Formats: sequence, C-alpha cells, structure tokens
Amino acid sequence: MAWSASKIFVTFIEDVLENTAAYNLATDAPKCALYNNTPTPDNTVTTANRAFNAGQWATAQEVYDAAEWATGGVVLTSPLSTTAAAVYTYDGTDVVSTGTSATLAAVFGCLVYDDTVAGDYGMCYNYFGGTNSVTDGTFTIVWAGTGIFTITLT
Amino acid sequence: MTVPLLTSYQDWYCPQCKKTDRTRAQTWVHGERASRFHTCPKLRYLLAPMLPATLKAKVEVHEREDYVNGDMVQLDPERGRPIQNMVTTRDNGTDARVFAPTATVK
Repeated sequence: MAWSASKIFVTFIEDVLENTAAYNLATDAPKCALYNNTPTPDNTVTTANRAFNAGQWATAQEVYDAAEWATGGVVLTSPLSTTAAAVYTYDGTDVVSTGTSATLAAVFGCLVYDDTVAGDYGMCYNYFGGTNSVTDGTFTIVWAGTGIFTITLT
Repeated sequence: MTVPLLTSYQDWYCPQCKKTDRTRAQTWVHGERASRFHTCPKLRYLLAPMLPATLKAKVEVHEREDYVNGDMVQLDPERGRPIQNMVTTRDNGTDARVFAPTATVK
C-alpha cells in the first residue's frame, strides 16, 4: 500500500479531547521525522502505534542524515495554532535540515509528532507525493498556506 | 589624504528566467539558506533561489508523481498543477524544497 495521503491521527483528536496527554500545540515543540516508501500510514491506528519508532513509524523505515537530519527528526519552530471562522489550522516555520551537506535518499513523507509530551505520539503525517532526495545539500519541507494540518468544522 | 571607501558586492542570477541582482557581498549558502530568493516566471511563479553569478547550476520544478487522492496539495500559481518539489542541482550536490500537502481528518 505504502503512502497514499496526508492525514491527522484520529486518536490524536481523541486524546486531546479526553485530556489523555497535556498537549499544548501553541507551545509544544514537535519534530518532523522523514520516512521512505516502506510505511503504510494509517490514521486509525492506536495511540501507541502513532508514536515515533512504533508501528509503521519504526526507525528502520526512517530516512535521516546522521549530522543534519538526525534520527528522530528536526524540530518544528514557531508553531502556530489558530482558528478562523470554522477552520482550525496548525502551522509552523518551514523545516530545514540543520546544515548544508545533508544526504537523504527516497523521502516519501514525514511524521509530525509532539516531542514535548511524553511518548512522542504522532499528530499527523504528510505525504510528499513521490520520492525526494538531496545529496550534500539542504532539504526543506515547505508547508502549505493551509498549514501542516487543518480541521474544518462545517 | 583621501581614503577610498571600497564596497564589495555579490552578483546573483536565476538560471531559468535570467533575472540578475546585486547585493552587498555576503557568504553564499546554498539551499534554503540561500541569501536571495525571487518569484520566478519560468518556474511557475514559485519562490525560487537565486544563485551566485559564478555558479553553474540548474533549478527545476517537479510535479507530484502520485495521484492527488484528495490531499490538500500545493498548486503552482501558473498552471494550477500539484507541485512536489523544486530541486537545485549543483556540480557537487543537490538541494530540494519539498512542498508538503496539508493533513486533514477526511
């Protein structure tokens, strides 16, 4: 199956609503971990299986550069949690490899997980639509104007 | 005695649209940390890096390889096609700007 779409985890919404973990998306520091085409992401998995290095998000399938996109991912800076009319949006600054000599091969998508809350549980995953690579360069995730994830309540 | 004030500068260009620019001298860093960007009419009006005038490189836009499949993908302003990435290829490496779709609960 592999990647097919970009989704928010259902149990993330449930855990927020039930206060299972003290998420604060306005201040928590999430990370973005990169993955190859092996995972088959599923947004209906349990809380345990949406964590970094669990289930489909095992490090065996992670793509990383030891120095400039370390395993576990790069921190998402300036998180922005906003609402406008009936639309909730979670956004942040574009994520850039931490140097200028990263080598990353066959990146198909990323897991965005909350690195502040214990458990490293994923919030969403974003599918890049195909394979992406850099050699001795800079890898940047450019977030859409509509954010990293969005919820429309209409 | 008159002392000349010497100002060094950096010339930039875009290999696609040929736009040029000149700024005060600064250390060029490739990729996202490039010092200069512009909206390129030859790269579908996306924000693209400018390169030092002395550097031979190419900048390309690639459309999404897979089906959109309901994803809130990023579209290029010119043709409205789903964009996957913008890649700069240098003699000694590559840089990529990957355009991530927005995740939803659908």
